[in-house]
Amino acid sequence: MINAFSLSSTIKHGVLILGALIVLVPFYMMVSYSFKSPGEIERNTGGFFGSQELMVDERCVKLQDPNKDEVIALRSRFPGLGDDGVRKAFMAEVERDCSMIPVVFNYSKAFSQAPLLRYLINGVIVTVSIFLIQIIVALPAAFALSKLRFLGRETVFNIVILGLLIPVHAIALPLYIMLAKVGLVNTYAALIVPWTISVFGIFLMRQFFMTVPDDLIDAARMDGMSEYAIVWRVMLPTAIPALLAFAIFSVVAHWNDYFWPRIVITGDRSLFTPPLGLREFKGDADGSFYGPMMATATIIVTPLIVAFLIAQKRFIEGITLTGMK
Amino acid sequence: MKKTLISAAVLAVASLSSAFAGSHSDKVIVEFGYPYPHLFDVTYEAMMPAFKKKHPNIEIKFRATYESYEDGTNTILREATSGNLPDVTMQGLNRQAILVEKGIAKSLEPYIAKEANFEKDGYHQAMLNLSKFDGNVHGLPFSISLPVGYYNMDILKEGGINSLPTNWDEVIKACKVMKSNGIKNPIFWGWNITGNWFMQAMLWSQDKPIVNGNTINLDSKEATLALETMNRIFRECEMQNLSWKEALASFAAGEIGMLFWSTSALGTVERTKGDFALKTGPFPGIPGVNNGKPIGLPAGGNAAMMTSTSDDPKVREAAWAWLKFITSGEGAAEVAKTTGYMPPNKAANEIILADFYKANPNKQTAVDQLPLLRDWLAYPGENGLAVTQVIFDGMEKLVTGEATNVAELQKEISEEASDLMPR
Amino acid sequence: MTKALNHQRQTRSAWIMLSPALILMMVILILPIMIAFGLSFTNYGLGVKSVDFVGLENYERIFTRSTFKKMFTATVLYVIIVVPFSVGLGLGAALLIQSVQRGREFYKTIYFLPVMASLLAMAIVWEFMLHPTIGVLNETLQGGCDSTVIHGLLTGSWYGADPLTSWYGDKCANGFPLWLGDRDYALWTICFIGIWQSFGFNMVLYLAGLTSVPKDLYHAAEMDGASSAWERFRLITWPMLGPTTVFVVTITVIRSFQVFDTVEAIFPDSGGPGKTAYVMMFAIYEKGIKQNLLGTGAAITVIFLMFVIAVTLIQRWFIDRKTHYA
Repeated sequence: MINAFSLSSTIKHGVLILGALIVLVPFYMMVSYSFKSPGEIERNTGGFFGSQELMVDERCVKLQDPNKDEVIALRSRFPGLGDDGVRKAFMAEVERDCSMIPVVFNYSKAFSQAPLLRYLINGVIVTVSIFLIQIIVALPAAFALSKLRFLGRETVFNIVILGLLIPVHAIALPLYIMLAKVGLVNTYAALIVPWTISVFGIFLMRQFFMTVPDDLIDAARMDGMSEYAIVWRVMLPTAIPALLAFAIFSVVAHWNDYFWPRIVITGDRSLFTPPLGLREFKGDADGSFYGPMMATATIIVTPLIVAFLIAQKRFIEGITLTGMK
Repeated sequence: MKKTLISAAVLAVASLSSAFAGSHSDKVIVEFGYPYPHLFDVTYEAMMPAFKKKHPNIEIKFRATYESYEDGTNTILREATSGNLPDVTMQGLNRQAILVEKGIAKSLEPYIAKEANFEKDGYHQAMLNLSKFDGNVHGLPFSISLPVGYYNMDILKEGGINSLPTNWDEVIKACKVMKSNGIKNPIFWGWNITGNWFMQAMLWSQDKPIVNGNTINLDSKEATLALETMNRIFRECEMQNLSWKEALASFAAGEIGMLFWSTSALGTVERTKGDFALKTGPFPGIPGVNNGKPIGLPAGGNAAMMTSTSDDPKVREAAWAWLKFITSGEGAAEVAKTTGYMPPNKAANEIILADFYKANPNKQTAVDQLPLLRDWLAYPGENGLAVTQVIFDGMEKLVTGEATNVAELQKEISEEASDLMPR
Repeated sequence: MTKALNHQRQTRSAWIMLSPALILMMVILILPIMIAFGLSFTNYGLGVKSVDFVGLENYERIFTRSTFKKMFTATVLYVIIVVPFSVGLGLGAALLIQSVQRGREFYKTIYFLPVMASLLAMAIVWEFMLHPTIGVLNETLQGGCDSTVIHGLLTGSWYGADPLTSWYGDKCANGFPLWLGDRDYALWTICFIGIWQSFGFNMVLYLAGLTSVPKDLYHAAEMDGASSAWERFRLITWPMLGPTTVFVVTITVIRSFQVFDTVEAIFPDSGGPGKTAYVMMFAIYEKGIKQNLLGTGAAITVIFLMFVIAVTLIQRWFIDRKTHYA
């Protein structure tokens, strides 16, 4: 009988919880910063939620800063004060109107400074397109490498493994120039096409396919199915769990990709993917806006967490069957 | 088959979206790129109403912003190769040379020649010199920053220091006082700011440019004095090797007494600082040189350059109109009001903003130093950017104590840098 | 269907099915590498007006400059540290999670979180946490100094040793390290962040591998007298996980060689204090993109690839011989 309070079980949970705490600390800080005012972040004060004292949205204030003619127009609202006094009084009003608590400031800026919603949608479009094309390319290739007998099979497989070694940063500029020659920079195609070949996916699916019994395939051949049909009508249905595994790796990697979109999208930021929402707030030597940055980061990781929670059950099953027994 | 269909679909969507971008009207469209959105978004937004009133037929299309001055240049270089340059781009002052060398940035002389009275609009020689290459103006400076000292007056007062130090000896003395009062990290000196800016500051303080044509002046006696002064500051103040992000955070938390950095961070510092009195003071000079006052200081910031490849003269005229607007009068005023930078335009500073600086004394410091404006120099040749790294690495060795012999270090970096210069 | 015809059909179908993948690989992976290979013999940079052949000059420079030695050291050290910990912790976490009854989903999700987070944001958070004076880490360590219990424990003074001779005691007295600003600690800090960021990925792969170990094997072993957890692991679990380990180690090694994002986010200007974290991918980025010296960047790429191919070949040959396939 399982004793829920056995010593070994307690120790195990203890270790796991300790590990979980260490792993979570950066997230705790990220979410905490998304609640805090710039000063609290920089000086590391304020507990988890920050003191939520009203802070002034400087951008809102600066946009309403009156110039000389506007001050003249305001004279009637502040009788008895000189121009200097009128401006001061008006700005005091503006500051009051432009005040808000840090958490509201951070999250509203995250969505308003850059079109974050648009970026999130782009993230979905780009990751889904990439994944779909990856399957279309990888599945037949994996089938061929695992179930078909032909001369050169081992060589091709070795080339696939070699492909894993090539890092994107090394080929980024030649790829950019190639895309530029066909006029595809600043397009969705530029974001998607370089990732359509996933050697990782071919490798993973090949492992999986090797565990599917040959009889299943031979039976399909007896029924007169073409090899191509076998891939889509016999292998794909059995491969759903493995595909989910591949999907998680692929979607997470491309959702968070910061380097490539920044190289290839320069004209119009409406094509940016979610992590680029962070760059709106970078200021380098002049100081960055960490609050909205962390708010953005929290927002863009949330869909991934949700997707992971939904997929994880079938996902573990999936890799089980990939022949890594 | 499926793959071809999907690829075709993706390409179709892509071309449709780019088609919509180029809609027609009789407005002239000027494509514009600028860096540091969280600093400058508000500046451009603030000046748009005035621009629209003055030039109703010109539409400014804002491109994806640059992350930094470096990203700005890299993006322009990539766009030059792929053939989709913007019409106007904002580039860091020390990054202009690279684009001029490669013929990407166009000379503005033809447009200036057509102007009735350019000087009257506030474009004085010192300002235009910042963007003059081979005697031709290639850019109009938009926002200027200078090195400055930020002082935590509470910490200084505790040490009995009531007036701001004016030269580096006084700075070192102040360090020692603070240290004896228990301040562990009295100073941060911004050696690691981009583009060797502070190294150039030490050289310009002695009126020596760091590079002259194809010769780099690292073996000069001015360079020796610069390196020795830096080394004294690092050693005698026991300055910690903080990254500048860490230093800004430490200063905000009230741990650092004196911070030497760019004026452009004033906004952030004021916004994030804890409860202490902040004062900015002029950049100290080298004792023994010019009565301990700097002779010149390198200007940081960015300038507007024309990179238009359009054949349509209307587009070029429109680009010039935008260039002029943002660097003169109303445009410049917004720079001062919304950022920590200064507009270099004389008319703006003396007329429009006169009261503004009275109300913002901490910003006045930089304006007072305007007469000291010198170029933020870029190193020539294809290895120019590698030279920046050589000097950076050299200074780092002083900070970490890896190099203790200043003369040896000077020889090392001077040789390595000269090696990289064009023959 | 005759055997010959069948074989013909398979061969034809195989090549048709492989063609999209092969074509894409050629265009997207191989062609750029060929271009890079060609560029490595030139002095090309974006926007230059004339390109010259410089022969092996770029390669010569790589092997004679001291910064490039640091490049190899940093990369190799990173791989040596990160791979065992990332794989080991992944395995350990998977084993622990598999052996508890409750809370599995909870632990799985938390340990996978670092993989899902945006690296740029995480780098900024780590920088704040590692701040020498106001960061969480040093604040906690400093707090321990003030507590006599913890101080005594960690310095050994509770049994009479001089506290200043221990690392902790010395730091309590003189100030904790700058972590990211210190030449001695910067690379280890980057390794730590790298392990933190990647072990969840390996945990997930191992969890899958574990669920496929047949339970009857454990029963059989128990009957044969192997009853302790260590025996079970050594005799059954570890051998059965062989193929999983091959996959995990291969992928982790390759990714470790390709480490870049963390270093660029934290040390964008220098590649670490004294270039101690100047890993090869960062060098490629610094030369090729930051300094616009595409020729040199390409040369480093070629060297990098040759290096990694050699390591992979050795690894495949070595490990494949020892793997137990079911």
